[in-house]
Amino acid sequence: MSLKPSTSRTLLENSTLVSQGAEAKVYKAYLHQASVSGTDDDGGPVPVLLKYRFQKQYRHPSLDTSLTRSRIAGEARALIKCLRSGVNVPGIRMVDAASGVLAIEWIEGKSLRHLFPGGAEDDDVSEDIAESADEEDEEEDLLTGFYVSRDLLMTKVGNEIAKMHLADVIHGDLTTSNMMLRQGSKDLVLIDFGLAYMSTLVEDKAVDLYVLERAFSSTHPDSEPLFSSVLEAYRVKMGKQWTAIGKRLDDVRLRGRKRSMVG
Amino acid sequence: MPGRYRKISPLQAPTKPYIALGLEGSANKLGAGIIKHDKDGKTLVLSNIRHTYITPPGEGFLPRDTAQHHREWALTVIRDAIKKAEVSMHDLDCICYTKGPGMGAPLQSVALVARTLSLLYNKPLIGVNHCVGHIEMGRQITGAQNPVVLYVSGGNTQVIAYSRQCYRIFGETLDIAVGNCLDRFARVINLSNDPSPGYNIEKEAKKGNRLVPLPYATKGMDVSLSGILSAIEAYTLDKKFCADSLPNGTVSDEDIITPADLCFSLQETVFSMLVEITERAMAHIGSKEVLIVGGVGCNERLQEMMGIMAQERGGQVFATDERFCIDNGIMIAQAGLLSYRMGHETPFHESTCTQRFRTDEVHVAWRI
Repeated sequence: MSLKPSTSRTLLENSTLVSQGAEAKVYKAYLHQASVSGTDDDGGPVPVLLKYRFQKQYRHPSLDTSLTRSRIAGEARALIKCLRSGVNVPGIRMVDAASGVLAIEWIEGKSLRHLFPGGAEDDDVSEDIAESADEEDEEEDLLTGFYVSRDLLMTKVGNEIAKMHLADVIHGDLTTSNMMLRQGSKDLVLIDFGLAYMSTLVEDKAVDLYVLERAFSSTHPDSEPLFSSVLEAYRVKMGKQWTAIGKRLDDVRLRGRKRSMVG
Repeated sequence: MPGRYRKISPLQAPTKPYIALGLEGSANKLGAGIIKHDKDGKTLVLSNIRHTYITPPGEGFLPRDTAQHHREWALTVIRDAIKKAEVSMHDLDCICYTKGPGMGAPLQSVALVARTLSLLYNKPLIGVNHCVGHIEMGRQITGAQNPVVLYVSGGNTQVIAYSRQCYRIFGETLDIAVGNCLDRFARVINLSNDPSPGYNIEKEAKKGNRLVPLPYATKGMDVSLSGILSAIEAYTLDKKFCADSLPNGTVSDEDIITPADLCFSLQETVFSMLVEITERAMAHIGSKEVLIVGGVGCNERLQEMMGIMAQERGGQVFATDERFCIDNGIMIAQAGLLSYRMGHETPFHESTCTQRFRTDEVHVAWRI
């Protein structure tokens, strides 16, 4: 699918590549605010994040087009649902499902992964133990820049996830890299809804939590107490729904990837 | 944590040549292979003999019949392997057999042969994980250093990467294996099982050009395939489905779906999913090498798609041909011999086999 001379194309051409994942390329671009009473301050250029799901050459073109279209739409849908339910997620600026471009609010801040011990390195094979003890001091400094204590932060994580689950949105890829602390405020923002979907099932919510638990233990050694305070906040926020989810989470833990398969 | 070992392989250079016999029979292929690790560090495939149990079109292989096939052919195949390798049973250092995973009855009959040989010639036994066998053979043949492994066969579909003496499973199928999905569809449209249903699907797919919509089910690094099988089976009951394939070379302008179109669509969809999860694993780990192993791995379309993906990422794809992709004895010998050289043996009273044996349960002692 080649980009037609469209707004999204012009935007892409005038942007800088931030990173490239398996799915999409991420760019930073600037939008010029029209004189509408927008949420952003004045008329200066506003940075946005462009997520461009480029064409995969290995895939049959028509299959690729329909997949890209549905994934962009799905991501936007999940974000909107979160926004409506008051979950802290980036706002949507533009959706161009046909060209595979999604523009969302640019969030200035740091990902949680970089604020915790062991997570500061680049992508590593899971469960690679870092020398966590040495980084303890430095990490405290990182956090103090945001005026948030570690416990409060974990409470926020649990809170946001609970709000999202109460809206029946399943993130699908909860990791500390997919959570950001917004610069200048104490807001925790959930990002990257590329794998998100809607579900009311207890199972899906429990698996979502389990994914996060695994992400915590693999990237941040000795983080069990941290995750338990996440769960505590989640429990409080979820209210009655917690009983079923908590029970299922215990089941999922036993199952995990360790389940034995025939053949 | 003790001090890290710098890049010194735990595997000592061989002080003498080692020779191992590998016996494989976890599914419908019975294989015997003999491998030699020479003193200069070279690995030689002395022989690699296989006999496949082929069922009539429309039928799969049942455990009991398969086990019977293996029992009937075991001696012939092993004798051939020994003869071809020009060694004697007394020259062997160890006898390796598939401990699992696989079909119970065929595994048992081959394990029985291995135990008998071990007692007759007084040779140590090594039980080998089938999946690790595939990976080790793939690494040996292609020379890939530390690849992300896509293991696709009739019984397994896994994305694997090595980390700390263990082959970790990053993604896998949530229901049926990809080979199983292809084979079962081949049976539905009555394709021959000779030489293998997957090969005939691949041949048929080359004639197809119409992509019918099918579910696309990747979940993170996992895939689900059973729904796709149901969906493609449903197309064979569609009014537009025309079971007789067109005479060669003609293209119909009628709105029909041919078996070739279905094979084409099935391959395109399923392989896209596999390449996608492999790419995700590569991005996650930061690896640039992919190795495809397992029976489905000799499908050239899959190799081609993987090649394009790897190229886009500036990486490289490694694959082997049917001699080493499809189940064989030599891979069991290779993995078994590596393990034997690390001082591991399977005591006689533990020389059992098991249908369930996860890839990540094996301690990969021979790698850093």
